[in-house]
Amino acid sequence: MELVWYALFGLFLATYLVLGGYDYGVGLLLARGATEERRRAALTALGPFFLGNEVWLVAAAGTLLGAFPTLEGELLSGFYPAVFGALAGVVLVTAGVQLRSRPRAGSARTGWDRVVVAGSVLAALGWGALLGGLLQGLPLHADRHVDGVGHLFTPFVAAVALAMLALVAVQGATFLTLRLPAAGAASLGRVARRLVPVALAAVAVATVLGLLSDRVRAAVARPAVAVLLPLLLVAALLMARAALGRARSGVAFTATSAALALPVVLVGVALWPRVLVSTVDPTASLTVADGAASGPTLSLLGWLVLPLVPALLGFQAMCWWVFRGRTDGRAPVYW
Amino acid sequence: MDTLFLARLQFAATTSIHFLFVAVTLGLVTLLVGVQTAGFITGKPVYERLTRFWGQLYVINYVLGIATGLVMEFQFGLNWSGLSRYVGNVFGAPLAVETLLAFVLESTFLGMWIFGWHQLRKGVHLALLWGVALTAYASAFWVMVGNAWLQHPVGYEIRDGVAHLTDFGAMLTNPTLGFAFGHVIAASLVTGGMLMAAVSAYHLIRRTPDFAFFRKSLRIGLLTTAVAVVLLIGFGFAQFGPTGELQPTKFGGGPDRDALVAEWTAKFGPGDYVPPTLSNVGLGFMILIGMGLFFGLLIVPLLWRDWLIRLRFPLWLVLLALPFPFVAVILGWIAREVGRQPWAVYGLLPVEKAVSPVGAGLMLTSLIGFTLLLGTLAVTNWVLLARHAARGAHDPALGRPPAPDTDTRPQPVFA
Repeated sequence: MELVWYALFGLFLATYLVLGGYDYGVGLLLARGATEERRRAALTALGPFFLGNEVWLVAAAGTLLGAFPTLEGELLSGFYPAVFGALAGVVLVTAGVQLRSRPRAGSARTGWDRVVVAGSVLAALGWGALLGGLLQGLPLHADRHVDGVGHLFTPFVAAVALAMLALVAVQGATFLTLRLPAAGAASLGRVARRLVPVALAAVAVATVLGLLSDRVRAAVARPAVAVLLPLLLVAALLMARAALGRARSGVAFTATSAALALPVVLVGVALWPRVLVSTVDPTASLTVADGAASGPTLSLLGWLVLPLVPALLGFQAMCWWVFRGRTDGRAPVYW
Repeated sequence: MDTLFLARLQFAATTSIHFLFVAVTLGLVTLLVGVQTAGFITGKPVYERLTRFWGQLYVINYVLGIATGLVMEFQFGLNWSGLSRYVGNVFGAPLAVETLLAFVLESTFLGMWIFGWHQLRKGVHLALLWGVALTAYASAFWVMVGNAWLQHPVGYEIRDGVAHLTDFGAMLTNPTLGFAFGHVIAASLVTGGMLMAAVSAYHLIRRTPDFAFFRKSLRIGLLTTAVAVVLLIGFGFAQFGPTGELQPTKFGGGPDRDALVAEWTAKFGPGDYVPPTLSNVGLGFMILIGMGLFFGLLIVPLLWRDWLIRLRFPLWLVLLALPFPFVAVILGWIAREVGRQPWAVYGLLPVEKAVSPVGAGLMLTSLIGFTLLLGTLAVTNWVLLARHAARGAHDPALGRPPAPDTDTRPQPVFA
């Protein structure tokens, strides 16, 4: 039962990174020194999906709270600065996107756009740092307290955070090639193609630093997976680049989405059966089963929630279907 | 300052700010369902205009409110990891159900509602708003199930020092749940109704040309408030019975309290088991505001033949009364939550065992950061609501028909 819920948690988190990833990617691209019209077009393309994307973060957090309460407490408080940064970023993006179109003055809009850019950077770095932090473990003691916050400030965590930032930027640009009118899409396709090598380099640096780090090597239980999945990630990025070159936006977007989902799979599988690995006391490490709620809670949640997961996905799919295709002059504008 | 105090302060700040948004969201969505449904049935254009104008204010408030809700949700793990550790098996379940079955759907529906105005059939569009409203109520219900459990834990047993769920049904029939849920809903309706009435009063005072529109809004807002305030007071006083019985320390002295404090002292060791007086002072003010609103609504009969508008001074009363429901909802929550001190879970888990073992410096940074961020959001929300409310209903961006031409670059129509 824990495994089902852990998989579901992973699914929600990966969905959030894929969908929220293009929210923040589009947010980052607002910094591209572009004209007001270009920023307007980018946000209109994002428009209908924006509210629906972020819900997956809430779904992931809710699953954590209900099905893995112990893990929830120790994970969030153990990686406090990363979670704080990511949350502050998410709040800034959510508020900024809503607020940027409200003032009449162009300067105020530019100001709010900067807030969106800053929030997108923070969110991507924060969630990246959290995933990196999980892979390298944390100084968790048997009495459940964690030594300070210094464990998050390592080259490996920084590299993973930057890799996440690069992946999110690629995802955002690729999403726009899918949604913008054909003319705008072509220039975004070039941007996306130029961003792919940056992301490749960032992923490579993070992988090498991970291989060199004692803590990461000690934390990872399945080294084969930990090496194979970054290779898959690289393959996905190369495929995205090739597809972008041929203006196959759908294929490219699928590939970049896979690139954002893979880190979640990597962390989940490489550490299994543990999830929080203590660097100071091996007995203090937390396994997925330790972190999970007890049997009655999991089965109650299973009866209440699992039958309705298809409905959640169905309504999201309805949203994607209703607003499929490229935006044009008649696309509803709200953000 | 120690970590515990800072964590409590942060909880108080984020919860209060969050609820200011929640009250408006729940109240307005109910009114929106009413006007959009009326428009669907009667086909009168005024209802579509009402839906767009009030929907615009609703959406501004909703989206900024999400941000505060996110912080609320993560706060349990960030600052109260002990709560998850000791009672997460029980307390986590209603919150998980809330996020997955209510909030996720609510936001998905709302996204489609905002962008679906001229793209979806009218029936589907209306159904989406019903979906938003029903999931919003479901959301409030599950959050209250969680909160009621913290007030009066039921349906669990302690094994190996950790609470395990034994009876989910007991959580749903918790005596601290039903009346409190009704009270919260009624308070939100009062807040939403007052907001609608006050904005309308403002336009009627200024003699905005849109007389018929704001006259209708004023009537809807005031009548909703009038009905809801009666329910509000009823559900409020109804809670004194069960709460006084189940939480004898909440509302002051008596032999029950002394007996319970003696029991806790024997069980958990000596300590201060009496909540700060702050909670009861606030409660007094809240009741005063509730009664004030109740008697204030004696002006409702003046709606007859528009005397309320013709006399003008009642309009000023309506406008100036707007802050009171907001003050009252905060005071109400302070009474309920501070009155639970020193317990995270009443009689089961003291706050000092619930707080996360993080440093005071980190907690202070997070307190300042989140309070500034959310405080700014609340102020921005109010400025925006006021501006958009003052702008009038001639052409809100929400639901604006698309331009007939088909140029390839959408222009910023929201200005």
